[in-house]
Amino acid sequence: MQPQLKSKVRCADREVGEVSKVIMDPLSFEVSHLVVSMNGEGERQVPMSAVLTVTDDVVQLRSSSSEILCMPPFTREDYVTLHEVEIPGLERHVHVNPGEVLVPFPELERNVKRRAFFTKLTYATGLFIGLPLVFPVLKFLMKPMYASLDNRWLKIGNIGKVKADDVGVQFQYKRKVKEAYLPEAEIEKNVWLVKATSSVLEKVYQGKDMEFRDAAGRPVWTNKKDIPFLAFSGKCPHLGCAFKWRKHKVLGQVFLCPCHLSIYDASGKVLDGPAPRPLDLLPIQVSASGEVQIIDMEFKAGTKSQTRIV
Amino acid sequence: MSDTPSSGAQPTVAEKVFTFVDERVGLKLLAAKMLNEAVPGGSRWAYVFGSILLFIFGMQAVTGVLLMFYYVPTADHAYASTQYILHDVDYGWFLLSYHFWGSSAMVLCVFAHMSQVFLWGAYKKPRELIWLVGLLLFALVMGFGFTGYLLPWDQRAYWATTVGVEIVDKMPVLGDFLARFLKGGATPGQMTLSRFFVIHVMVLPAALIALAGLHLFLFRCAGPAGPFRGTPTELKAKTDYFFPRQIWKDVVGMAVVFACISALAFWEPVVLLDEATPDPGDYHPEPEWYFLFIFQHLRLKMFSGELGQFFGSIGLPGALGIMLILLPFFDRDSERNIFKRPLALIGWVVLTASIVLFTVSAIINRDFLD
Repeated sequence: MQPQLKSKVRCADREVGEVSKVIMDPLSFEVSHLVVSMNGEGERQVPMSAVLTVTDDVVQLRSSSSEILCMPPFTREDYVTLHEVEIPGLERHVHVNPGEVLVPFPELERNVKRRAFFTKLTYATGLFIGLPLVFPVLKFLMKPMYASLDNRWLKIGNIGKVKADDVGVQFQYKRKVKEAYLPEAEIEKNVWLVKATSSVLEKVYQGKDMEFRDAAGRPVWTNKKDIPFLAFSGKCPHLGCAFKWRKHKVLGQVFLCPCHLSIYDASGKVLDGPAPRPLDLLPIQVSASGEVQIIDMEFKAGTKSQTRIV
Repeated sequence: MSDTPSSGAQPTVAEKVFTFVDERVGLKLLAAKMLNEAVPGGSRWAYVFGSILLFIFGMQAVTGVLLMFYYVPTADHAYASTQYILHDVDYGWFLLSYHFWGSSAMVLCVFAHMSQVFLWGAYKKPRELIWLVGLLLFALVMGFGFTGYLLPWDQRAYWATTVGVEIVDKMPVLGDFLARFLKGGATPGQMTLSRFFVIHVMVLPAALIALAGLHLFLFRCAGPAGPFRGTPTELKAKTDYFFPRQIWKDVVGMAVVFACISALAFWEPVVLLDEATPDPGDYHPEPEWYFLFIFQHLRLKMFSGELGQFFGSIGLPGALGIMLILLPFFDRDSERNIFKRPLALIGWVVLTASIVLFTVSAIINRDFLD
């Protein structure tokens, strides 16, 4: 046990005083020294190695009283109290108490039988308040997440801009958006048009017309396999960046996405880079006068199959 | 610690006020507890990063609140109000640029702080919880960077968010929901701006304050780990308190960081690109420099296709995160000396080297794009 305050201190020959303080070692968390009040002859600092036995109220030392008296006096300035310093865990190791310190337990708190019940009642009340809020809060936050798809045709320019075959030509257009409470605004977007030769068309359509459907599965439009105009969504199917038509040292003229360097040929097929699927084709109409119209669709990036999101 | 007032003289008003408060809340004891924290083995320059992070966060909060006096988080005014701060409001350019460079400083110091704790083996028993909360704080800091980047609503902002959210979308099962939840729809727009704004200025700061408080509390419970070398006697001989030697070092560190951020804000102030729109024109989208290594490694052929992309954007970073979380529970050896933990040392060197390598190659690659 640890020596207690006020314990009598006995030397080999006689009693010399009582324990007035104990000193803890901040690393080992053990009592390292006792401070002994020498019955009016000052205080001495005695190492625990000099202690022979410790009982409830007596500390027995090995040394004689004269040896203890010869020790240098205790210097208070070399120490701070436990309360003035932060040494984590030290207080848990101190068992030096002059005695128990008590306060009365209130009358009403004695013999309360249903403490556990009241604890559970508190949790239940919490759930009663919290649970009904989960659904409304979720719906509140999810309000704009799933908008319906828009199948309007947008005029984007005149096909006369496309001069050569199998070359990507960017068409920039403005799209009106009306978001929630905001006034109607215009955002700039772009698509890439290719006037395809028959070999490129064959690569794209593989002899079949391409059908576009709405969310309910009803057909919206069919791109005929022999119409030479292709419109690619401006969004890279890898991670949604915007790609460009560029000259590549080895592959020649290609669609290149500057973000993660996916490369596609004029038919939209992946030639190199991380893209998981070819470029996304959009529904396209070209009128007799050359006016180009598209349905501005967007597809989820990064998936092998197409999932329409706009 | 002497409680007696200076001899004989009448106490001044300030002393009376102090005594009044001290009697009621025990200020002296509180101050003593805060400052007299024993640092085993003594104060060190290596320990400054935690305090510096707290300082940077404080400055980000102050500059952030100031920016909100003018900033409007709507798709039709965010860009204009940011330009207004930069060009019309007195010192707006400096406060915005300080806030911008402060985020970079934050990321660098988080890396330094985590590296120090890792190399010193300070995450080991009994400090596992401090490490775990620290990892959460790291995630919050990255979240701050990601959400704050959108707010100026220029092309850079728009595309970093577009690609970043697509990466979230790659998470299994929850990805689509989370991506739509963040965007508030299928594509970035007003709802995205509102969400990122409220996350950036309310949700993340509240979470960071709470978790940083918990981090400090847990740190005070366990105490500083101290150096990984030295016998108890040597450690005790060199032990000092948090105040004044460690605080002095911390304060010098803060001053240096403040000077660096200010200098960057002064010589490299923020310049916005064109207003955000789904047509980037000639701009080549790119994230902020501290996300460049992720950006660059996603270009690798091995992360191509749907599966490869999942591994690159979710699998690999996720595995790294789980490894960091499990680290203190698997690494149970009490040896803290980094030179006797070859696996840990090699792991740190490889990770740091690859982050540097991928960042540098992303920067070099810019030249080949035009």
